[in-house]
Amino acid sequence: MAEQKVSARYASSLLDSVIQKNLLEAVSNDIELVSSVLKQNPNLNRMLENPVVKPDIKSSVLEEIFKSKINSETMEFMLFVIKKKREEILPSILEKFKELRDIKLGFVNVNVSVASEFSDSQKKELQNKLQNKLKKKVRMNYKVDEKILGGFIVQAGDTVYNASIKHQLDLLKKHFVEGSPITN
Amino acid sequence: MAEVRPDEISAILRRQLTGFESEADIYDVGTVLQVGDGIARIYGLSKVMASELVEFPNDVFGMVLNLEEDSVGCVLFGDSSLVKEGDVVKRTKRVTSLPVGDEMLGRVITPLGVPLDGKGSINTKKFLPIERKALGVIQRQPVKEPIQTGITAVDAMIPIGRGQRELIIGDRQTGKTAVAIDAIINQKYTHSPEAKNLGIKPVYCVYVAIGQKSSTVAQVVAKLEEHGAMDYTTVISASASEPAPLQFIAPYSGATLGEYFRDNGKHALVIYDDLSKQAASYRELSLLLRRPPGREAYPGDVFYLHSRLLERASKLSEELGGGSLTALPIIETQQGDVSAYIPTNVISITDGQIYLESNLFNAGVRPAINVGISVSRVGGNAQIKAMKKVAGSLRTDLAQYRELEAFAKFGSDLDKSTLRTLAKGSRLVELLKQGQYAPVNIERQVVSIYLGTNGYLDSIAVSDVKRFEKEVLEYFEVKHIDIFETIKKEKDLSSQTIDKIKKAAEEFLPAFKKNV
Repeated sequence: MAEQKVSARYASSLLDSVIQKNLLEAVSNDIELVSSVLKQNPNLNRMLENPVVKPDIKSSVLEEIFKSKINSETMEFMLFVIKKKREEILPSILEKFKELRDIKLGFVNVNVSVASEFSDSQKKELQNKLQNKLKKKVRMNYKVDEKILGGFIVQAGDTVYNASIKHQLDLLKKHFVEGSPITN
Repeated sequence: MAEVRPDEISAILRRQLTGFESEADIYDVGTVLQVGDGIARIYGLSKVMASELVEFPNDVFGMVLNLEEDSVGCVLFGDSSLVKEGDVVKRTKRVTSLPVGDEMLGRVITPLGVPLDGKGSINTKKFLPIERKALGVIQRQPVKEPIQTGITAVDAMIPIGRGQRELIIGDRQTGKTAVAIDAIINQKYTHSPEAKNLGIKPVYCVYVAIGQKSSTVAQVVAKLEEHGAMDYTTVISASASEPAPLQFIAPYSGATLGEYFRDNGKHALVIYDDLSKQAASYRELSLLLRRPPGREAYPGDVFYLHSRLLERASKLSEELGGGSLTALPIIETQQGDVSAYIPTNVISITDGQIYLESNLFNAGVRPAINVGISVSRVGGNAQIKAMKKVAGSLRTDLAQYRELEAFAKFGSDLDKSTLRTLAKGSRLVELLKQGQYAPVNIERQVVSIYLGTNGYLDSIAVSDVKRFEKEVLEYFEVKHIDIFETIKKEKDLSSQTIDKIKKAAEEFLPAFKKNV
């Protein structure tokens, strides 16, 4: 819980400063890169989390890996985080940054579960529909889940649009069994 | 032979299924971060309302109590072992509410309105939120009609009006519930055609059992059924085995059901048995929600917990139909300590209290009401004139008796007037004793108090007082029924009626003495 608050604090200050310097696009790409590297290399993560490893070593490792690939602003930020001894929450700061950036730019991440892969035209249509409905730019993440039998489930933020066959069958079952008295 | 055509069947099926060909079902979700001890912390549910009902898997429901920056704190109304970390929680978009209606009468339900008595589902049409704001000043009027408990000591000296909040307080095993149950049973009269002719409106009762043994609740229901009181009563039960959140909301459910009657211009009596257990349940879930503990480890808003509940008792203005909601909260004290946190809080909220004491109970004074320190702050306005006239002298006689009681052991060393006060007092105490489940009508109460305060008992042995009362009332019933009728109709004690009572009593007294 506390970790969430701290990472929000770091992420929002980074976001504000890069917007001021007009570097949002570049830093954004850096963050995506660092975040995916951290995800793919658990060892790197483990090193960051390890309190036995000296901060200097952590700094130099990160510098060595990323220096040539990312902007100096991003690098400085990461070194600052290490200096403040918050390196163990670096991944959550990066996630938070992406989240805050999306809010700032009016993007919304939408998770779509489908029973079988959508065609490109279907995807396009769904995306347009959602953009009109949510009045925001959407980024679609598709996932195939055969358990839903048919149709699709869209989750945008906390709201779920459930058009799966499985859900309809569940509702039908509830309707026939007369469900719990509270829901009637 | 009758034939069932397949197309008929499919038509019926199709009708049953209407609405299920609908498009996407839209709902809001969150995920469980942490669960345990009847509490769940949820991530997501960003648009959820405070005290909204949320649905967990396995038909477990919960209520949102804490809205925090990055999580939502929730209490569970079901088994928390059925909920796991990572489960999906759905909003119901409905604040926790109770189905209400006349159909609830005669039923035993949970605080969420689920029937417990095996008499089938309850087909109510209306839902009301269990947490409602109490009415303001404009919507109310002063308490003016009496509610008769059928207990002579209460109706005479601690009168309760419709719309009042009267606390029943005492140690365990002092007959607190008995007083409340008698009050419910006595409302049977208000549902009779006779009461209707006299302009007495029927009173509907709600008995809320919080944290009691299920067997005790079953006993109460059986007693109410035996006396025909279940026809106008609903029992809301959150027994000791239910999770703390259900016990916490039970009184609010009771108030909501009572308000349904009140808002329809009817009269309701709600009994909260008991609020100390509710406070303990609230403490439990507050501590689990990590709210800071205060005095006796109760959270800071435990006063508000009871004040917002009892403030809902009210007498509506005539424009709103003039309905009323009377509340009889019960508080259990430990070793007679009324200065503990919860008792002082509730005493200060209510319009008076009925003290029950264990030493009186053990001395055989039942109901064990200590009339010296029991008060009713507003009920006096509601008392009928006849009762007001006789109760005044009863109160002073008993006060004098209490003052001199300590001297009683000196026996014959006392002067005549002291002896007379003591004799009268002990007879009045005897007169106020009353059996359980035996409520007395107001006109009979008036007559027996009149006889007691006017010296008709003085020549009778203390041990014969109860028998005298019983027989004299029977005698009046048979020979002078007109006296009862006039008191009922006029609600006053005119000098003619007094003369009649005097005459009848003088007729009866010699016959009684002969029989001793």
